[in-house]
Amino acid sequence: MALTRPIADTTLVDQALSTAPSHALGDPVVVVEGLRKSFGAREVLCGIDLCVRAGEHVVIFGPSGSGKSTLLRSINLLEEPTHGSLKVFDVEYGPDGASGVRRGNPLELRRTVGMVFQQFNLFPHLTALENVALPQRAVRRTKRAEAEERAALALRRVGLLRHAAHYPNELSGGQQQRVAIARALSLDPKIMLFDEPTSALDAELVGEVLEVMRELAEAGMTMVVVTHEIGFAREIGDLNVFMDQGVIVESGDRTLFDSCTNPRLQKFVSAVL
Amino acid sequence: MIAFASSLINWSYAWANRGALLHGLLVAVEVSALSLVLSVSVGLLLAVMRMSRPPFTWLAAIYINIFRGVPVIVTALWVYFGVSEVSGLNFSVFVAAVISLTLLYSAFISEIFRSALEAVQRGQREAGLALGMTRPRIFVSVILPQATKIALPNIGSMLIGMVKDTSVMFVIGLTELVATVQNLASVSYEYFTLYTAAAVIYIAVAFTVDFAFRTIEKTMQTPPRGGIARAAKGRRRRHVQAIMDRFDASWQQQGTSAP
Repeated sequence: MALTRPIADTTLVDQALSTAPSHALGDPVVVVEGLRKSFGAREVLCGIDLCVRAGEHVVIFGPSGSGKSTLLRSINLLEEPTHGSLKVFDVEYGPDGASGVRRGNPLELRRTVGMVFQQFNLFPHLTALENVALPQRAVRRTKRAEAEERAALALRRVGLLRHAAHYPNELSGGQQQRVAIARALSLDPKIMLFDEPTSALDAELVGEVLEVMRELAEAGMTMVVVTHEIGFAREIGDLNVFMDQGVIVESGDRTLFDSCTNPRLQKFVSAVL
Repeated sequence: MIAFASSLINWSYAWANRGALLHGLLVAVEVSALSLVLSVSVGLLLAVMRMSRPPFTWLAAIYINIFRGVPVIVTALWVYFGVSEVSGLNFSVFVAAVISLTLLYSAFISEIFRSALEAVQRGQREAGLALGMTRPRIFVSVILPQATKIALPNIGSMLIGMVKDTSVMFVIGLTELVATVQNLASVSYEYFTLYTAAAVIYIAVAFTVDFAFRTIEKTMQTPPRGGIARAAKGRRRRHVQAIMDRFDASWQQQGTSAP
């Protein structure tokens, strides 16, 4: 089959740059105000305020059960907030938004926000190539041949082109997560959410996934990352957010880890490092 | 014991009547195949209803519990004689048999599908949602293929059960295998021979169905296992290989180092 168009030699970096948000660097793209989420009687998010700016890398960390994953999952409405406002690219998705602001459709939101899961969540019945091609065909109605070309490009960017025909159960955890990242990136998201992307990996496989994420961060992708990798947070985190018991305890730039005065944060950082 | 039994079986008589017996088998297989297609479709619909919200979930539950509870013979008589009595609608024997089996087996198959759909990990749906896929598309492209693979062995057992249950349809006059045996035996009195032949044929069907479903299962495995399965997926694999080669080559042409 002949190529219909030349293949741009895009690396992961170029790709991310070309999809830089329509908003200028530094404009707020995700604005969370007074966000609350309850499961039954248990409140797991107790009033969160957070602002993510275009091109910024926000790292959320904290003990398990602190609500960090729930916060991340609220940003693409995998969890419906109980109260509060969630604005993404100036569109309101929360239940208590200011009146007069356009209420957004979750489907549209998720088409601009990509997500990577702790358990990879690749589709086990599809090859790596099909995993990346399916969402393009389903979401963008791309023709099969073109979707597969784009999928091959996306896999090449994460260094897995040679594994295109492999099924997820034939790949290592690190490779699976890289396919998952390629799958999310192939839809040209403006914001990427990472929910503990390395927590399910063997120690020696963490590096390859962080490497891909680091490249993405350097390329200027807006990222919100929930992670226990404090070293990685120090390296890429423009805004580091420490959560505990459903609230943001402390947040700040790279200096947060060195100059923290909050005893809970000190205790957590010393335990993780 | 075996020698005694085989002395009672007149194999040459059974062989002489192979045409009639195989015709009976053909009818049984036709009814079963059609009923399988219909009851898988209806069963899937019922499973989805059962897992949705009221009143659909109640309607499905009522249907499932009624038709899991009614014996085949009652359903067959009820569909063939009862429905025409009440509504004036007259089904042919063949159609009545297909309707009966579909009513009964869709109830069982819906429960097979329900447990299979529930066995697909929640993260699969979430991944689809996070990618911006619609719920119907997630169901068709992500959940259903995985659930089908889980449900397949049990659906195979259902098909074997269905072929056996066509034998009950002789009460409404379907000339399937058992009715054929009855007809022949009423003349020749070779009951033991004919019923043994019927048993052999039913067992052969069970082995065939088992083999067919195992092959389909192997095809659905990732990666596919066995010669038939690999052949079935071979074209697709060569297609992917061609894409890989093309993109590998284009990478090297541009002189960029591969990661």
